[in-house]
Amino acid sequence: MRWRLWLLIAPALALLLALFIAPLLHYLWLSGHAQSVVTGLEPRPVGAQQWLRLLNDGRFWQDAGQTLRFAVCSVGLELILGLAMALLLHQPIRGRAAIRTITLLPWALPTTVMALGWRWIFNDPYGPINQVLQALGLQPVGFLANPALTWLALVWADTWKTTPFVALLLLAGLQTIPEDLYDAARLEGATRWQCLWRITLPLLVPYLLIALLFRLAQALGVFDLIQVLSGGGPAGSTESLALYAYLNAMRFLDFGYSATITLGSFVLLVLLGGIGAVLWRWRPLAGEWR
Amino acid sequence: MGRTVLLLWSLGPMLWQLYSSLRPTQALTGVGSGWTLDHYRQLLSAEPPFGHYLVNTALVGSSSTLLTLALAIPCAYGLSRLGQRPARQISLVVAAAAAFPAVLLFLALLEVARDWQLANNLLALSLPYAGLCLPLAVLLLRAAFREIPLELEEAALIDGLNLWQRLRWVLLPLIAPALASTALLVFIFCWNEYPIALTWLSRQELLTLAPAIARIAGSSVYTIPYGAFAAATVLGGAPMILLLLLFQRQIISGLTQGAIKG
Repeated sequence: MRWRLWLLIAPALALLLALFIAPLLHYLWLSGHAQSVVTGLEPRPVGAQQWLRLLNDGRFWQDAGQTLRFAVCSVGLELILGLAMALLLHQPIRGRAAIRTITLLPWALPTTVMALGWRWIFNDPYGPINQVLQALGLQPVGFLANPALTWLALVWADTWKTTPFVALLLLAGLQTIPEDLYDAARLEGATRWQCLWRITLPLLVPYLLIALLFRLAQALGVFDLIQVLSGGGPAGSTESLALYAYLNAMRFLDFGYSATITLGSFVLLVLLGGIGAVLWRWRPLAGEWR
Repeated sequence: MGRTVLLLWSLGPMLWQLYSSLRPTQALTGVGSGWTLDHYRQLLSAEPPFGHYLVNTALVGSSSTLLTLALAIPCAYGLSRLGQRPARQISLVVAAAAAFPAVLLFLALLEVARDWQLANNLLALSLPYAGLCLPLAVLLLRAAFREIPLELEEAALIDGLNLWQRLRWVLLPLIAPALASTALLVFIFCWNEYPIALTWLSRQELLTLAPAIARIAGSSVYTIPYGAFAAATVLGGAPMILLLLLFQRQIISGLTQGAIKG
């Protein structure tokens, strides 16, 4: 009986292994080989040369910093706004079901579609934001020509699209908190602020963690949004690691180095996850938050 | 008050796209007035017409959804009957795969497409898509299978139903809501997927929606057709908006379940 169960599981497991493990092993092999226009696109063993190149590649480290900054800021913003949105949607307001669906609409849109839309909204000088600025007698702003503003536009667009997802998760968490807890706290004279900090947030921690993990993993792999909205510009100031790996493969036709970048990013991701796990274990606030 | 802010935040950008797509180009870039459907006409009569991309995407989405379910249903059933320990370990692997940023895979998939002649083959795209969606599908379906009491299946076993019959007539009807949620989420993922479609499809008439939009975005550097851009975002976004409005209950329950059970 048991082997038949395994037979049912095997096809799906085989596809997962082929899709997630095989590429990593292949990257490991390819990162030890040069395969580019110089070698006639044939793989040629070069030892650790590409890994040394990666360590000394300013663009790689700059992109790593930019990717991390993007992920931390947009996920942080999404958690805060998502919490606010979830608290609002949890209240018994009129038309709650319809509002929930409408707030989820941005999440369902394809990222490239949304990115193209934001490019038009941030347009200089015809986009709506600049129209408003000009109507107020101000100079139009070249949002996508300035590194800091482009970065802000990317964070904004990502937040707009994924906050509903975070809010939905936190809303599910809010619905598991029994109402009696709040009644009891109010009886003791707790303010709404105290209820939020002492009851709601501690009980939401598992849900916040799930949202944080899922979103952080996705945001660190950001690609679609940046490629369509800013193309990594101006002057590479918003390029992400995924975009850099993509450019090496598709534009510079340097497959060996692209594999090295991809695997290097993966190593950084795993390190980050490890640090996160250690910090979580060690958290000095443990008593407060459990 | 909060309600108004929320609606404005969500709908504002979309309404602006709809508005822009209906205004003549002169009205968008200076003085001018009136309304027009020209941008839509231009998109729908382009070569290839925009509708083509929507059909391609629907095709890839449907075949990927079927393949995902065909692999995930037996796997989820097997896991739910396997007993605690091995099932827990496999579920952990599956959950890790769910958090894996898919964009890391595109270089390897590029080589697979090249070496196995799978590039520009819409149906072949179902293979990586099904793989990427499997973790979520297995988690959702396994949770649904586990809620079915074992006695029910034992009764069917005594009646002489084989595994296929038990699935078809007893178990699948019981997990129909979870099946619907899973299918919808997989379809939405495939509809929106970009990096893999970008590497596997290069022939213009075979593009799915996401790479087609990116190509439209990158195509006209000198004369920027804002109206056409806006019309493309409206046509590209409308099917998903419709899907969400029609199946809000299933999609919302699938999303929440998926993240929490994972």
